[in-house]
Amino acid sequence: MYGGGNTFEHIKTNGLENEDPQKLAQFEARIQRGEKIEPNDWMPQLYRKQLIRMIEQHAHSEIIGALPEGTWITRAPGFKRKLALMAKVQDEVGHAQLLYSAAETLGKSREQMIDDLINGKSKYSNIFNYPAFTWADSCFISWLVDAGAIVNQLANARGSYGPYCRALERICAEESFHLKYGHHCVIHMATGSQKQRDMMQEAITRWWPPMMHFFGPSDKISVHSEILMRWKVKMGSNDDMRNQFLDMYVPKIRELGFTIPDENLKKNETTGRWDYTEPDWEEFKRVINGDGPCNKERLAVRRTAEERGRWVRKALLAPKTEYVAPLA
Amino acid sequence: MESLDPRVNRLQLSQRELTSKAPLDQLGTYEVFSQLRDGKPYFHVGPVHAPNREMAFLFAKEQFSRRQTCTGLFVVETRKIMVSRFTEGEDTVYNYIEDSVEAEEGQENSYELFHLKKRGKQHEHIGTIECTSAEEGLSLVKSEFINEKPIYNIWIVKTSDIEFNQEEDKIIWNTLPDKKFREALAYKAADKIKEFKERSL
Amino acid sequence: MINQEALKELLYKMADDQLILGHRNSEWTGFGPLLEEDIAFSSMAQDKVGQSQALYQLLYDLGESDPDTVAFMRNADQFHNSRLVELPNGEYDFSLVRHFLFDTAEALRFEMLTSSSYPPLAQLATKIKGELRYHTMHANIWIKQLGSATDESVSRLQHSLNELIPYALGIFEPSPHEDQIITEGIFQGEELLKDQWLDAVTQLISKTSLELPDITLINPVFGGRIGEHTMHLQPLLDEMSEVFKIDPTADW
Repeated sequence: MYGGGNTFEHIKTNGLENEDPQKLAQFEARIQRGEKIEPNDWMPQLYRKQLIRMIEQHAHSEIIGALPEGTWITRAPGFKRKLALMAKVQDEVGHAQLLYSAAETLGKSREQMIDDLINGKSKYSNIFNYPAFTWADSCFISWLVDAGAIVNQLANARGSYGPYCRALERICAEESFHLKYGHHCVIHMATGSQKQRDMMQEAITRWWPPMMHFFGPSDKISVHSEILMRWKVKMGSNDDMRNQFLDMYVPKIRELGFTIPDENLKKNETTGRWDYTEPDWEEFKRVINGDGPCNKERLAVRRTAEERGRWVRKALLAPKTEYVAPLA
Repeated sequence: MESLDPRVNRLQLSQRELTSKAPLDQLGTYEVFSQLRDGKPYFHVGPVHAPNREMAFLFAKEQFSRRQTCTGLFVVETRKIMVSRFTEGEDTVYNYIEDSVEAEEGQENSYELFHLKKRGKQHEHIGTIECTSAEEGLSLVKSEFINEKPIYNIWIVKTSDIEFNQEEDKIIWNTLPDKKFREALAYKAADKIKEFKERSL
Repeated sequence: MINQEALKELLYKMADDQLILGHRNSEWTGFGPLLEEDIAFSSMAQDKVGQSQALYQLLYDLGESDPDTVAFMRNADQFHNSRLVELPNGEYDFSLVRHFLFDTAEALRFEMLTSSSYPPLAQLATKIKGELRYHTMHANIWIKQLGSATDESVSRLQHSLNELIPYALGIFEPSPHEDQIITEGIFQGEELLKDQWLDAVTQLISKTSLELPDITLINPVFGGRIGEHTMHLQPLLDEMSEVFKIDPTADW
């Protein structure tokens, strides 16, 4: 699961003047033709750097995202939910593997990426810095946070870097049940007992603000990058993605009789875009820079897992194998 | 740190902000190939990191045949794969392969051949060649492929470097189709929504 | 007419073992020592929970309550799992050794059950053979690897092995219906299973730097099969049923 948005803030688009103009032109022409860039192709440093950053953050989001949902595996009500949630969270960990592998083809090792996650250098999707208090929270995440991630993933799957696109294809195939499962859970909460409805409504009320942050800062305060769009690294503006999500899911939430805690939220018939109360972008900045309810815990869990697992990895290290970047 | 997650509480998280820098504990890299159905060719599906072939197979099975049908799987250390140049458009890699290469001293070995048939796709297993070296092997098959649709990249590797599944292990994939809870079809609820809407009216 | 009581007792203890161990192993999801291993371990946990559901389904067909009720509403003293599976996870060496000891027995048990005189059980056993093959493949490779690798890995595994063997012997706690189970061909019995298990375990351990304690000198930890458990089971069940019990009649 991934909520892009913040990835491309503060990028420096310099350094291009050092690149071979002929190679650069061929590279851009290939992308315009709709062909994929593969690990063995020439690519500008900026492209490589931005892709590593984006794919790496996506991978981190999957592994961190497994935590708030994983919370509820041991408490899932009934076999059907227990098995489904186990499968879903396991898929997320598998997706992290696919994504780290894709980023590795660009020259950064997996251990280096995990190191950067644990020491706070690399970011992950901000929404996972919030706690999943109840079963209903886990339903919200499984449905709507996944839905948001899928909007991003479908867009990125049309991007230019081969290994990333292939990883996303596999991910989208596996995710087809995730979204349905999430929606199924919420529908049951909505059509169940009053207790279930109340729990779900409460979760929606609490998670709506982080969900509005999910796609990143609004376009008008965001850094625009023509070059990353041209290179099909960034596939759409933050507001584009957010509007797509709102188009698809606000009606589905409302048809279940739930109230979304924003009275200004409605589709503007004239502009064709959604009107809503401007999210608190200061809060977003605060949380993504470490001051959210769960940031410390999320990283502490990863750090502990790495530390506790160190003796295992040491015992696995054999002199005859050596790390190399994967081929594709 | 008290967590909402009972599992996390049992972990007894370290309270320290900093942790000693871990040495990079790099495990080796293995490429994984999977066969979706009996009779179909094996395709490259991705890499796993593992300390040896056996474990690479173990990991590959779960990472790459957990959610898709599978009738066969093999892994090979990335370093052992010999890679040709890349070509484009109408140009086939076989244009750059020697017509004939002298056989080396010693016995023949068996090599597995893989072709990249389309940019953006993954390598497909083509077959086995008996020869004394990879170069000789490619020259032996050149005539078969030179006039066919262009091949954009070749992988070739000694068969003995590959970790295959045993025939009797194929049963590990038996119950894949039974796990309905992992399919979208198991989550239909349109009638619940309909019923709910009717009740609310 | 098959002895229903004997059959149900067998099914309950098997299902309870699978459920509790599957639940314990699922606690590792996201916390594993290695990404690929995390995925593999979670998969096997899922297999176990799925297998337990299939066994509870067989019980339901024999007149017991539905799987959800049976799994989520019983208290510790009504569960028939071995004490081995309810112990907390500890570090990875503990979980791996438990995985090895239990899954070796389980694979042999189901192999024997493929010729059970109770057809639904024989069919189920045949169906899941493949899953169990992977489980033992996984356990064997890991124990072989870590059991000979570094001083630390060997000493950790040895320590866990010493601690877990008495509990593992509890898997074979004889049933009050042991004789009927054997004479009716439902299952060939815990004694035979234990012997085969000991052979398999000894063989694998001999390929490592580990030492198997002398079984003849060990007191097996019994009690689980008759509902006498450690202090760990009730909290596990409380956690497992936390949401379910908010409203047991609800459709979640």
